[in-house]
Amino acid sequence: MRFRTQVVNTATFTKLVGSLSSLGKVCWMRLEQSTIRFTIIPDQGTQVWAELPVDSIFEDREYIFESNTGVINLEVPLSALHRALRSAASAKWVQLRLTKKGKVALLALTVRSTSWAKGANPLGVGSGWDDGTNNTNEPATAPFPAAEEEEQAGTALFPGDAATSSTTDGRRERETVITQEIPVKVLHESAVEGLHEPRCRDPDVNIILPDLFQLKSISERFTKLATDSSPATKSATTITTSTTTQSSKQAGSISTSGGTGSSPISPKLELSANMHGSLRLAIATDALRISSVWTDLTNPALDPSQLSQSQMDQLPSERMRAVPGDDEAGWAKVRIDGKDWARVLSVGRLNPKVVACFIHETALVLYVYLPRSWGEQDSCLTYYINSYMN
Amino acid sequence: MATLSFSLLPASLLRMHDALVCLAKYSDAVAIEAEYNLLRLSALNSSKTAYSAFIFEADSFFEKYDFGLGRDSGPSQSRSSRAEKFSCQVYIRALLSVFKGRTTGRNQDTAVERCEFEVHEDPDETECRLVIKMICGLGVVRSYKLTYESTTIQHAVFDRSQATNEWSIEPKFLKEITDHFSPSAEQLDIHAEGTKAIFTSFTTKITDGKEVLRQPVHTSVAMDKKDFEHFLADDGLHVAISVKDFKAVIAHAETARVIITARYTRPCRPLQLAYDFEGIRAEFTLMTTGEAGPEDAPTSSRPVPQLSARQAPAPVQVSQANSTTNARQMPPPRSRPIRPLTGTSSRATDPSTQATTQPTPSIKFDSLFVPADDDRQWDVVEEDEAEAEDMLGWDATADTDNPDTLGPLLRDSEPSLRDGDPMDLSHQDDMGIPPTQRISQLHGLGLFD
Repeated sequence: MRFRTQVVNTATFTKLVGSLSSLGKVCWMRLEQSTIRFTIIPDQGTQVWAELPVDSIFEDREYIFESNTGVINLEVPLSALHRALRSAASAKWVQLRLTKKGKVALLALTVRSTSWAKGANPLGVGSGWDDGTNNTNEPATAPFPAAEEEEQAGTALFPGDAATSSTTDGRRERETVITQEIPVKVLHESAVEGLHEPRCRDPDVNIILPDLFQLKSISERFTKLATDSSPATKSATTITTSTTTQSSKQAGSISTSGGTGSSPISPKLELSANMHGSLRLAIATDALRISSVWTDLTNPALDPSQLSQSQMDQLPSERMRAVPGDDEAGWAKVRIDGKDWARVLSVGRLNPKVVACFIHETALVLYVYLPRSWGEQDSCLTYYINSYMN
Repeated sequence: MATLSFSLLPASLLRMHDALVCLAKYSDAVAIEAEYNLLRLSALNSSKTAYSAFIFEADSFFEKYDFGLGRDSGPSQSRSSRAEKFSCQVYIRALLSVFKGRTTGRNQDTAVERCEFEVHEDPDETECRLVIKMICGLGVVRSYKLTYESTTIQHAVFDRSQATNEWSIEPKFLKEITDHFSPSAEQLDIHAEGTKAIFTSFTTKITDGKEVLRQPVHTSVAMDKKDFEHFLADDGLHVAISVKDFKAVIAHAETARVIITARYTRPCRPLQLAYDFEGIRAEFTLMTTGEAGPEDAPTSSRPVPQLSARQAPAPVQVSQANSTTNARQMPPPRSRPIRPLTGTSSRATDPSTQATTQPTPSIKFDSLFVPADDDRQWDVVEEDEAEAEDMLGWDATADTDNPDTLGPLLRDSEPSLRDGDPMDLSHQDDMGIPPTQRISQLHGLGLFD
């Protein structure tokens, strides 16, 4: 069993792991010759099945993969991996490999990062101590290549530095090698063969979600308002003010902690959409009912090459399309947990296109396409969110 | 009695505050010691593995510094060196709260202009206090009276001339290294290899099964030796210190922007990080753990063999080393022949105490820490087994009069114990009821009738 590769798309990989880590502590990472799959199946909340072609994050030519079964299944702690990947932020070379220390399997992330440093070269002949004193007199600056490069080039011309006759023109490239060893568990095929992607009926409504950041902040605001208003002592009028002024909103958020602590059930958001480009986000409590509606969104058409015309007509989404836009019957609705939804939307950092598939009163399935792979079916993160009963 | 008073300008006050913030990471209490030419603030952590001290030079750091000893113990008398200074201990949070508001003063007019520090100590007075006055703008004076505890202060002694490994580096580079570490990393291993200096974070906690995934990430950062001002350390020599202590040093050194120098000899001996600036000498003496490097003699770096090196003739040490490495395979060396060689060793270092789990008197480590110190804290848990085998070497000189102090491993093959076996039998005979006695014979005892 061998796995070694060079990470080329570090930023994407980091963001992907980051957004996954908000949904679960561990993920099942399934490595194959051409694809990588990340799966999160939490006890409660949203399931994620993400499948990426190897070349979307790893270097194709540097991908060494050997396994008797053609598959390597790993259980990976996401937050540890995410933290480790942060070391790779400004790196020029990042390698990921599967290794072993004692009985513990490890994913070893090796990062070569370079930065510019002042010409302290005490191991060089003679000039070492002079350089040393120069270094101390100058204010410490963060040795990051891009930002500091020009400035340091300027100081290098400074006579003081030149007088030390440093062989490195007052600055040099310094390289640091960082190795992060993340403990993982190798899963036997039998441990994962029972795990299948959820199957559900054809969706009633398909719609492309609006900007996720906007959706996330509105969702979070709604959730907070509902949480704040749940204690019976609060009147509806207080909530009205809290939506309008910043200061009272702050006051409200302080009392939130008490409210959430007493009631373990966090408020449920109602998310609904129709086949006429409208998406509605709503929340209702005893004290308030608020909603936001987006219009003029896109209802993506299904690929006609995969379905015959008659099959197309049979689809529930086509029936929903036939319902006029102003008719409530044309809306498919799901009730989802506000906090879980906010964690799902953290995938927004990848700047993806998201197609939301509504199965009325049953589930919400999100197909998250990474920017580069828009339209490619094989590079997609699928989120399965159960709808709560009313 | 002693009189102490000094005053600080805002810049110095800031430095002293930084020092206290740093010391607070080691201990709850700060030791304050005043001498004629310096003031020392120091802290020793509860496990006595880390000692940090800031020494403020009387001439250069303070605006004004007065220290005198009362008529009873004037400098001319010099009854004992201990009386030459004033020492006390203060709860560090209390002292820090005095400095609070120094920077957050909303009104710039009432910013602190001077800080005056006085000790009121007099046997005739009922109240002995540290009095700190913050002289602020617009005639505002904030005064604080703190209680203190008069104690004798423990110092870690570090002999720089003995340190064979030394390197200096800007703290920002070290900061970069620790930034990569997992927040739950506990230990830091430092070693040199070729042109690289390698810093590895690890944890000694043993986890298995499901817990494996919760284990902290091990991070190793390899840095070019060129990044150091100078680097003189043996290749392949590993020393390990606590990450938390290391970070505390870096955080302070960064505020001072001053080059840190590390000095150490070998594992299980102290490592000192030190730097001087603006009339302040900062010293952090940290205990190291680790294993002997390949080029070291196998006995040289472990704490217990080290003790033997000072007490026992060299040949004995070697023979013990042989026995330690093969402790499980070989019968333990006979105790009688060896014993006379170390017979002069005092009771305090009686090997039998080391064979058990009792703490080793660690005062022998460069006379660093008090004898009550628990030696196991130095140990890397992963090495516990190996350590235990090493310990067996000491059993060779164990107190045979008291075989109970020996470990169970030794007991099986210890010749003297075989003599004990018949004794045990005779002991059972005294009971009058051998174990094979039938119940039928027990009539008349009233139990089984």
